[in-house]
Amino acid sequence: MNPLLSFQSVCFGYDDSDVIQSVSFHLHAGSCVALIGPNGAGKSTLLRLAAGTLRARSGSVLLNGTPLRNRALRHVARTVALVPQLLDVPFQFTVRQVVEQGRTPYLGLLRGPVKEDRVAVDRALDLADVTGLQNRVFNELSGGERQRVKIALGLAQQPKLLLLDEPTQNLDIGRQVELIDLLHFLGDEGITIFASIHELQLLEGNFSSILLLSPEMPLMEGTPQEILKPAILEKAFNCPPRRHPLLLERAQQQTKRAG
Amino acid sequence: MKRPVFEEISPKGRIGLLALIALLVIALGAVILLSLGTGAVHVAPGAILAALFGRHPLTPTEQIILLQIRLPRVLASALVGSALAISGLMFQGLFRNPMADPYVIGSSGGAVLGACLGIFFFSQVSIFGFSATAVLAFAGSVLTMILVYALARSSSGTNVVTLLLAGFAVSTMLGYSSYFFEALDSSGSSNHGILLSWLHGVIGIPQWTQLAISTALFLIAAAIATPLMRRLNTLALGDEYAHQLGIKVEHTRIGIILTGSLLTAVAVSLGGLISFAGLFVPHVARLALGPDHVRLLPVTALSGAIFLVVADTLARSVFAPTELPVGVLMAFIGGPFFLYLLRKSKRSYAL
Repeated sequence: MNPLLSFQSVCFGYDDSDVIQSVSFHLHAGSCVALIGPNGAGKSTLLRLAAGTLRARSGSVLLNGTPLRNRALRHVARTVALVPQLLDVPFQFTVRQVVEQGRTPYLGLLRGPVKEDRVAVDRALDLADVTGLQNRVFNELSGGERQRVKIALGLAQQPKLLLLDEPTQNLDIGRQVELIDLLHFLGDEGITIFASIHELQLLEGNFSSILLLSPEMPLMEGTPQEILKPAILEKAFNCPPRRHPLLLERAQQQTKRAG
Repeated sequence: MKRPVFEEISPKGRIGLLALIALLVIALGAVILLSLGTGAVHVAPGAILAALFGRHPLTPTEQIILLQIRLPRVLASALVGSALAISGLMFQGLFRNPMADPYVIGSSGGAVLGACLGIFFFSQVSIFGFSATAVLAFAGSVLTMILVYALARSSSGTNVVTLLLAGFAVSTMLGYSSYFFEALDSSGSSNHGILLSWLHGVIGIPQWTQLAISTALFLIAAAIATPLMRRLNTLALGDEYAHQLGIKVEHTRIGIILTGSLLTAVAVSLGGLISFAGLFVPHVARLALGPDHVRLLPVTALSGAIFLVVADTLARSVFAPTELPVGVLMAFIGGPFFLYLLRKSKRSYAL
């Protein structure tokens, strides 16, 4: 069986220099994968390539074995949804009106929403647990509520693969845990999750594997235990080991195990 | 503590919307009747209705006044109001900004240039029932919009801010061209007066052919605008998100700009530069109905027509026999009402 998503020696750059240099990996259906790496390493770019909104300069991105570039974005959008870091909505659009836009790939210029679309929107609101917010104005929500609404918007596309660009950003620890629980729940519903994340302490136990993207080294893939090692993180994030509690704690755990 | 939900103040669902539309259609009919009866020769709306159903014919004088003088003007004002309101709705949606109006990307500048050429050089010429001023204003408006779009376009698509700035620069430049024409004009003050009222918006008495062609253009534009409304809702999420959802953003944008421009040009050719209606009407509709463009389109189109028929009737009757430019009157009625709504709505506008 083909992997759900494959990158084959993908290169991409916004100008002459490459942000993404020959990246290859597979994402299997049903997995829950975190993408980590320092700022500017190209995590958002990689997610956009996966969603098809950016086209690889060389190499190819395959969805179910078919290159994305051979398929209309409209069709890709029925399988892949990307939840962006920021969603800025003008005017007083309600949560429901925002989430309804996720049905766009299923509608035509002349074909408006039908019952099936309303059912999909109801389900997306329900899955993201924002049914109670549906008549609220999107702009008046808190950061945590907005994050869930953005996920509902992605879910309205009925994707098999949900890409999330830093979903835990700007959330307090309580909301972070709620969000991780939501991702677990979506995973149980059969949706493959691929999320870029800065909060490294949230990874263990929550993600089946980790991709580490850093300009300092080639792309690394492994379980949280394999990747979250002080030596690796120190190099990838260019962070002095004694200056961050997470690295210190990891180093102590390692010595304990060794002793 | 949850804030009151928006649905509470907007009519619920499809039935509420249809009822509102029906109400607005009746209101439009009523203001047209009232407007037809208003003027130096007063005809009661009841008498007009009776004549319409063949009960009580009007006197020949009344017939001439009503059919040849007032009716074309009233219909023209309804058309202009509707066109400006739809166009304003489209540009506000496209730029995701409630401050946009039909002239936002420069059509007014080109229209001024065209109208000046018509007023100062071809005042006696008429083509298919259109005065040269109307034709040239129409052409100027459409050509400027194409020029601005071409200037703002780059290989990677069109940047919305560049589009606004290019529109502003071109429009200001062309708009001031009127001073050159006035400086060069030797015929005295009559042209000056015509130009001045044109710049503030004045709805004349159009020939029936002009009215028919304008109506046809309006209907074509409105038909194209209808499916674009759902696109405007999606574009509200931003270009990138709309692209991710499979929308061809650049094509959609061209479609919206062309349709909006066509509507503006129709309005400009009939009524000169009428400000305020295109900004104000979509705004009020949005305050009442929420921002869903699909629901806003019919309501905005009808409210625009009603608003301008009322304004134009007042413009020609309040200081009769002197006429005020309708744009001036509209600013005076619309302005305070608008400010009242802004204060009352209490919702801060997020830009």
